[in-house]
Amino acid sequence: MKPGRLIGKAILVLAGFLAVFPLLWTALNALKNNVDIITRVPRLVFTPTWANISYILGRDSVLTGLYNSVVACGSAVLIGVVLGLPAAYAVARYPNRWAGDIQFFVLSLRFLPPVAVAIPLMVIWLQVGLYDTLPALIITYCLLTISVIMWLAIPAFQGVPKEIEEAAFVDGYGAYSVFWRIALPVAARSLAGAVAFSFVLVWNEFLIALMLSSSNAKTLPIVASELSQQGMNVPWGILNASVVLLSLPPLLFLGVLSGFLNSVFRQKKT
Amino acid sequence: MARRTSLPVTFVVPTIAILLVLSMVPTLYAIVIALQNRELSTPDYSWVWLSNFYDLFFDRRFLNAVWVSVKWEIVTVVATMVVAIGLGVLMFEVASPRLRNVYCLLFIVPVLLPRVSAAFVWKFAYHPLYGIATYPYRLITGGLIFDPLSKPATALFAVASVDVWQWGLFFAVIVLKLLETLPPQPIEAARLDHARRWQIHAYVTLPMLKAPLISLMFVKMIESLRSFDLIYVMTRGGPGVATETLDMYAFSQGFIESGKVSYASAMAVLMMIATVITFTMLWKRVQA
Repeated sequence: MKPGRLIGKAILVLAGFLAVFPLLWTALNALKNNVDIITRVPRLVFTPTWANISYILGRDSVLTGLYNSVVACGSAVLIGVVLGLPAAYAVARYPNRWAGDIQFFVLSLRFLPPVAVAIPLMVIWLQVGLYDTLPALIITYCLLTISVIMWLAIPAFQGVPKEIEEAAFVDGYGAYSVFWRIALPVAARSLAGAVAFSFVLVWNEFLIALMLSSSNAKTLPIVASELSQQGMNVPWGILNASVVLLSLPPLLFLGVLSGFLNSVFRQKKT
Repeated sequence: MARRTSLPVTFVVPTIAILLVLSMVPTLYAIVIALQNRELSTPDYSWVWLSNFYDLFFDRRFLNAVWVSVKWEIVTVVATMVVAIGLGVLMFEVASPRLRNVYCLLFIVPVLLPRVSAAFVWKFAYHPLYGIATYPYRLITGGLIFDPLSKPATALFAVASVDVWQWGLFFAVIVLKLLETLPPQPIEAARLDHARRWQIHAYVTLPMLKAPLISLMFVKMIESLRSFDLIYVMTRGGPGVATETLDMYAFSQGFIESGKVSYASAMAVLMMIATVITFTMLWKRVQA
């Protein structure tokens, strides 16, 4: 039994190392001069430099990309919250004969291949003159955020004990104020997880942004991927710095999302 | 809670109406475009009906892309599930509760990375001369070059490994949480019967988790279809057409090479029909 446990622990340590080491290495490379990156033997000791990071933060294209990403993802998530949460609550609490169909419809939006959506949208946005603008991107992203938030919020609202809501009705609250004052606050933690999840999804989105923008509305992932195409003389340090910048916002939600996972599975137990 | 209130209507109808418009307009328009011969370079077009679809069946690159996509689905889904179940069970067996939390946190990091970032991180790591992942090989062989991304035989697996790195580790966390929700009695009973640990999991716990594990696999099958960003950054479908999946080929036909938007749309429509039929059938079976 003992050697088996030891091997098991070793495998876990190795997996944990594999999970984060590549990213840490990228972060280290972002602090290196090119000569320290292009070595046959990887270098752990080097004189750090801020040059890559300040270059990235000083470039207009990166700042525009960052701005576009924040505005597009932020607005789409906001619209997703405003439209998705109430709808999810109604499906969860007022089930009717369409509830099952609605849930399946929301899930089925996830099957649609992104290319199948992006090609016609590109033609449509070109025709109405909104191609390569933030509104076009935001409207397109809403499809993603509303459906994801609804999909995750329905079980979150179902997890709210019915008795609390019943008690509120008895106290004379109307249906809307029960939603506002009882259901939303009680389910807040799970809902925050759902919202964070939808933000991570649209922040990471690439194909739609690539097809719906050519210069003005480029999001950060597109700008980052373009940096890599600068000819033969690859600016490795700068690339690594842009990867780190791109990865930071989703990582900020690490705590929220792991708490979300915990709460989802704790509900199942009861 | 059968109360007379306008809430369900005011909350559901606008949202579903917007979702319907946002999803149906592009979907129907994709079909319309696929029946025409639009190109990006000219505004003129005419109706060609099914000829785009007809051409596809004689397009060798398209047939190759179908095959690559099928391979991609099988490799990533199977590998993800194997990694997830293996690591999930391992965490359940040998890690203390506090350590489990640490591993869970570490294992969620890769899936949060934008796929563009993940692709870059590993593209550097796989660099034949300076990469950290190819370093052990250089060290052992005394400087020989190993370039997994530019060999047709290994490129698909090299890209797939990044996908499994992102999803397999994340799913391991979910498998662990699922194991933790199981009632302890059957495991205790099996232990009293002197079952070995692997037997307990193979015959008791995993069969109990069959339904959620199948749902998990279902989610992975859907997500595996969205491989475009990884492939775009790491190989651009190359070397040759070794990693050219359907969405990559549709993109390069529609935008990079010839701007044949209609031809690309025909491909996308076929993909859409195939995925909607397959996943609807699978979903009904999972739910049943």
